[in-house]
This record gives sequence, structure tokens and C-alpha cells, in this order.
Amino acid sequence: MKVSKVSDAASSLGSPTAAGWSSAAAETVKLGAIPVAAQPTAYIQEAWAKRPYASTSRAKVAAATDGERLYVRLEWADDAKANGEFPDGAAVVFPGAANSAVETLGSAAAPVGLWYWQNGRAEALEIESHGPGVFRKQASDGIKATAALESGRWSVVLSGPATAAKGGKVGVVVWNGTNEERAGLGAVSQGWLGLEQA
Amino acid sequence: MTETTAAHQIAWVYDLNKCIGCQTCSVACKVLWTRDEGEKHEWWCSVNTQPGLGTPKNWEEMGGGADETGRPKPGHQPTREEFGGGFDFNHEEVFYGGSAGKVFLEPQAPRENRWAMNWDEDQGAGEWPNSYYFYLPRMCNHCSNPVCLQACATGALAKREDGLVLRDEDICMGDRFCMEACPYKKIYFNYERHVAQQCIGCFPRIEAGVAPACVRQCPGRAVFVGWMDDESSSVHRLVHEWKIALPLHGEAGTQPNVFYVPPLSPYRLKEDMSIDYEQPRIPPEYLESLFGPEVHSALATVKGEMDKVREGGSSEMMKTLIAYKWQELLGPFSRDPVELTPSAAS
Repeated sequence: MKVSKVSDAASSLGSPTAAGWSSAAAETVKLGAIPVAAQPTAYIQEAWAKRPYASTSRAKVAAATDGERLYVRLEWADDAKANGEFPDGAAVVFPGAANSAVETLGSAAAPVGLWYWQNGRAEALEIESHGPGVFRKQASDGIKATAALESGRWSVVLSGPATAAKGGKVGVVVWNGTNEERAGLGAVSQGWLGLEQA
Repeated sequence: MTETTAAHQIAWVYDLNKCIGCQTCSVACKVLWTRDEGEKHEWWCSVNTQPGLGTPKNWEEMGGGADETGRPKPGHQPTREEFGGGFDFNHEEVFYGGSAGKVFLEPQAPRENRWAMNWDEDQGAGEWPNSYYFYLPRMCNHCSNPVCLQACATGALAKREDGLVLRDEDICMGDRFCMEACPYKKIYFNYERHVAQQCIGCFPRIEAGVAPACVRQCPGRAVFVGWMDDESSSVHRLVHEWKIALPLHGEAGTQPNVFYVPPLSPYRLKEDMSIDYEQPRIPPEYLESLFGPEVHSALATVKGEMDKVREGGSSEMMKTLIAYKWQELLGPFSRDPVELTPSAAS
């Protein structure tokens, strides 16, 4: 995926509806489920054995940087059915080790890092993930998120230090709150997406 | 299964024959622990009228618990509406709106499907003159098989060496698998802070030798606390020696550490208003549905000991239940909280 270089990113890319994103190259990423047998507790495995999850099939991803910060824009179709309990969410995933797997959201030996947005949370979170839903909140490194829901589609921009992209690849997770998706039940990109300077 | 064995196990016993439903335990807990943001609807200790739908509404039908091997079973996560409460009221209008006597305090929430902690107070069941009810205080059971802990994806819950099941809110992601798995539905979700929360057993008090607020503040002397592994403790004697204190819904399989002395009840009245000495007003099968088949022998034991005392005999069990010296309810946690300095409490 091409990472656009811009000079005034905060104003041109800070919002998911900002005009700057219209010229950024976006890729559509296929998302899939982490197998139920890989879920971290026997409870989750049993409770979700016969329930479909990871219900968001694809997301559009675009990225840009001003050299200091990396901006990643995610866009996907919202499940419009009402759910008052669980919020929608999304995350950008970065490898924490050379052999980190995005498909399982990392492991104890090879974790991944998440920039995590959840609808209704005042602030984005930085998370180290040791497996599906095995999340550890980290001290925030200035991760920011802005989101918009328009015409049945979510668009979210997550931004943070450009050094997060040093591994040269990112992944994506989308949680459909309507379907009570949380932890390792979100829809995860099926492989890393390589980053290259535009 | 996750290792959850505790070196000690703190336990509570509520004597339902002495609980007067005054909610002092609920309020003592509320003012101490759940006055921060997002906690308005949270009542870590609550008292409900039985039979009733309880808190959250219809909680006994929400599943969870453990199977015969101890593994958690799927359950329903109680919703904001099912817990209810946390209402804002029209205080401004009533007290300063110039309509005294015409406008009354009213929750600022739709009338339909309103619910809250203790919403069905004193409704009970049965028909006059044989209507009946009793009060049931409930809190986190700090189970010996805590399915909440087993269900959690992040490892935010731990069972401490004193047997308390506590949550690290810095780890909790608000996934709420714990709320689904808990068969007692005594875990709340804080929608402002995005974490689940439940009774913490007043652990800062416990660590300082002070009894939990629900115990110390009970004006009915209805609740005991102590170490279950101390054979001389009231909780041990009531549960294991005299076998008159029973777990609520023990069939849920989580090995709760809150126990109840089941309620005795007056006899039913016949149509001619004479007393039917064969039929207690609270149906035994209803009590069995709550406390298991052991409830019948527990009630028989209590009645037997009461008869013994009436006939001039002495009963260690009755002395314990009466609690002539209220400090005896507190077990080893008898220190007066006024003795604590802020630094000692922390």
C-alpha cells in the first residue's frame, strides 16, 4: 500500500472526511475470522461455537505521513441494526516482532501492537496484543482517532508516531458492535499489508 | 481450568430470618464504592424481595455458571435496561419550580419497561391471607470456581489468597464475557469508563482488620463474615458444622462463598382462617428452587434448636444466630473503622 507524503497532514488528513484523503491511494482489504478454537478461553470458544462473528467482510485502507506521524484511514460498511450494548470498533495493527501474525492478533511470544478506536470512547488506546483479544493497554504514545458515520459507512482515521510503521506493514481489525463482536471476535485482515513510500 | 485455589477463603452468611430489607447494607456499599462516573446504576450489594424478578430483572433466567466439570457455561449479559436505575430526577422542578404539591419526584426516563434495583419491593407472591415474601441480600459471591475469571480474555480478574475475586480495571477491556458467565449477574458494566465492576469485598477494610461495610452497618445483625477455613468461625460453623447456611443456586456450580440461613415462615391459613400446621406459607419447593434440597433439613434444624430453647434448653447455634454481642458477626475483622487513619487505610 502506498503511503502518501503530505506536508500539512494534521489539517488535511486529521479527519476521515478531510479533502486530503480523496487523493490518497486506498486498497480494499479482505477481512476474516480468527478460528473459534484459537479464542483465548474455553468460555468464548463454547459461547461462539455456533454464532457467526467477524461479520465485516472488507475494509478500505489508506495511509499517509508527514514524516512525524502516520495517518491510517479505515472505511467499512456499518451494520445498521441497533445494539445498545456493544460499540463498533476498529484498529490498525503493527507487528511487534519479525514473526508476528496479524491473522491471530499476535501471540505471547510474538505480540502485535494496536491503535484501537471504539465508538463512544473519548480517547484512542494503544494496545499490545498477545493473541485474539488478549490485550494489554499501554501508556498512550499520542495515538489519536477521529471517526464519522455517513451514509451507512464508518470512516476512521487513526494516527500516531510514524515510527510505528518501521516494520513496513500494517493490518486491520473491525468489530461489529451490533453482532456483539469484541476481543478476538472482530474481522481481521488476512495477512500483512506492505507499506511503501509513494 | 485456571488455578483459583485460595489459601484462605473469606465468606459471608446472611440470616434471612433477620434481614428486614432496610437496604442499609446496599447504601453502606453504595456510598463507599459506587459514586464515581458511570456507577450510578451500580449496586454491588442489593436487597430484593423474593419471590421477584430481582436485580437485574429476571436474572435467574440469564444462564451462565459452570457445568459438571467446572467449565463456564454461556449466559446472557444483562443490559443497561435490565439493570435499570441510575435515573436522573426532576429535583429542580419539584423543589424550585413553584409547583409544590402539584409536581412530584419522577425518574426522567420513559415509563415503559422501567426497572431498577429493588423495583419489585414487597410484591412477593401468594394470595391473601397466605401471601408471602422475604428479603434476599445479594453481592458478588467471590466464588471458589469463579467462572468470570475463567471467561475473561484479558486476565483482568484474579482470585486472591484471601479468596476475594478482584478485577484490575487497568487491564479490563470491557469485553463483558465475565458478565455473561456469572450465574448471579452481579457484575455491572460502567458505560462511562468502559470496564466491568463488581463487589471488591471491601478489601482495603479487610486488609486493615475492618469488616466489610455491608456487614458492619447491618442494623439487623443479620450478616456474618469470617474465614471459612477457620473451624471456630461462625461462618464455618453455620455452613459446615450445623449445615443451616446454604449457597444460593448452588447448582450453578461456581461454589459461591456467600451463604444464607433460609427463611422460616408462618403457617398457612385455611379458608375458615384456622391455622394449617402442615403447610408453611413460603412453599418449601420455592425455597428448594433457591437453596437446593438441603433447605428442608436446614429449616428443620433451626426449628429444632428454637424448640429446644423454648423448652428451657441451651443452643450454641441459636446464640450464634441471635448475636447478643454484635462484634461476633465481624469475625476477625472487628477493628473499628474510626481507628483507621487515611494512611493506615491505604
